[in-house]
Amino acid sequence: MSPTDKKRQADFQIIARWVNEGERVLDLGCGRGVLLEYLKQKKSIYGVGVDIDFDKILSCVKRGVPAYQGDIRVILATFPDASFDRVIFSRTVEQLEEPDAVIAEGLRVGRRVTVGFANRGFWVNRVNAFLRGRRTVNEVYPKPWYESLPTNPFSVAEFEDFCHARRIIIENRICLSGDWRSECSVLPNLMAGYAIYDLSSSA
Amino acid sequence: MNDSDIEPLIPDEGEVGFVEYQDFVSEEPFRFAAGGSIPELRLRYETYGHLNAAKDNAILICHALSGDHHCAGVHGIEERKQGWWNFMVGPGKPIDTTRYFVICSNVLGGCQGSSGPGSIHPETGKPYNLDFPKLTVRDMVKAQALLIDSFGIDRLHAVIGGSMGGMQTLQWVIDFPGRVGRYIALACGARHTAQAIAFNDTGRQAIISDPAWKQGSYDPQDGPDQGLAVARMMAHITYLSDVGMESKFGRRRRNADESKEHFDVEFEVESYLRYQGASFVTRFDANTYLYLTKALDRFDLHSPESLDATLRPVTAPGLVVGFTSDWLYPPQGNREIVEALLRVGKHATYAELAMDFGHDSFLVRAPRLYELIHRFLSR
Repeated sequence: MSPTDKKRQADFQIIARWVNEGERVLDLGCGRGVLLEYLKQKKSIYGVGVDIDFDKILSCVKRGVPAYQGDIRVILATFPDASFDRVIFSRTVEQLEEPDAVIAEGLRVGRRVTVGFANRGFWVNRVNAFLRGRRTVNEVYPKPWYESLPTNPFSVAEFEDFCHARRIIIENRICLSGDWRSECSVLPNLMAGYAIYDLSSSA
Repeated sequence: MNDSDIEPLIPDEGEVGFVEYQDFVSEEPFRFAAGGSIPELRLRYETYGHLNAAKDNAILICHALSGDHHCAGVHGIEERKQGWWNFMVGPGKPIDTTRYFVICSNVLGGCQGSSGPGSIHPETGKPYNLDFPKLTVRDMVKAQALLIDSFGIDRLHAVIGGSMGGMQTLQWVIDFPGRVGRYIALACGARHTAQAIAFNDTGRQAIISDPAWKQGSYDPQDGPDQGLAVARMMAHITYLSDVGMESKFGRRRRNADESKEHFDVEFEVESYLRYQGASFVTRFDANTYLYLTKALDRFDLHSPESLDATLRPVTAPGLVVGFTSDWLYPPQGNREIVEALLRVGKHATYAELAMDFGHDSFLVRAPRLYELIHRFLSR
């Protein structure tokens, strides 16, 4: 596995820890279906991916991962409450048009919701912004702004403010340092490069 | 992101080559779901590739309304018309005849050699015409299952079809879940929209109001060609797209000479459609057209219960493919099938292709469609 893939798959093992054997998992913004394939191998899950891009669906087909090509909000609306044990947003939330409403839908359709994202408050991002006046470019986000999708980055602190405001329960949180591998627990809003949350609704 | 792990396929393709059709005859009476029966059943079919010893490599292809059993290869030196899905079926092609034994039969109710309203009733010696029982998609599939039995095949590797063939494919996995390993349904839906029914009925009315129809008991040599041609012309429009027609024909004129009759063929698109209508009547039967379109209009997986309940028996993993420019069976109707399958916990994939060829997109050789089918079958 290349270092880039390793970094991209930073949250796989952590998510696998939270997923129970044989669960029903919905991966929103599933990309090539690599996470679902991994969870299927490790935990024998029934997994479904959702992505808007045909080529991503083609990759899922290649992996034998069932996938739905379409809009996340459209497919979420078709599922009854608690249809899935877990709904996953792995580096997806920052590209959603209405993150608030979509996460609420995720919590309706899934008993648990996983959100993984690169922390905007990470000190490297702050240094890049403060000293260089530029955004961070790394292995996972290698492209300059003009070749990237519109993205709405947020920090660990901002995400937790949101959860509190919406009375979303943070069941688990794991923060990873800048290498997206080793766990970090001190000053996560400053020290975490990547954060993964396991959420449930208070209702 | 450098996110593509899809290597372009470098196909090493061959051709099926010369093929001959066969006839399957069952001398048991065949009973129809809506009542009625025929004393014997005949299905004309073609096969490509070889059935292996385990008899587990067979793929059934279901054709669309105006299609037939000839889906690959050619019939002879003189008759070099390639089968309707020739680009998809053959050695090294997505439906690879070096690996699979491919079967395609003319549908029950059809007019290319299978039992249909134009067939001769063995007892009366006359065509069934409108005495042919009411036909449903379920009957078409039941008849195909008898054909599959005749090969000693217990379980098909896959069932694949587009349009009416897609509906048969869905019916297969509902009625015979244990007999299908996987399935692909393209450009179809769980039921006809009001618009689709409206178009079909306008076509039927064109046939029925042709005096040559004679309540269905016309002489095959002297049938309601006008009505059938108009029905075909109109239906053909629904198989294309606005964008597709515009780029293919635009307002191009056929003849610079405008001295002809005021209402003679003027635009290229008129010439094309009239040709489509005129050539259709040479190979298609008007009563079959009535029976098949009616079967499609009545097809409804939302009934008698919900779509979810209807799809619950399905066990095989499936792929449903919609096409953005298809306004006869729009993407929404294709998506809805997968949404229901996922709600009831099935292994199902929905893929949508951006192609400009309307409903007929599934009949067009496109690299991404080619690759999608190839990957789904070779998993």
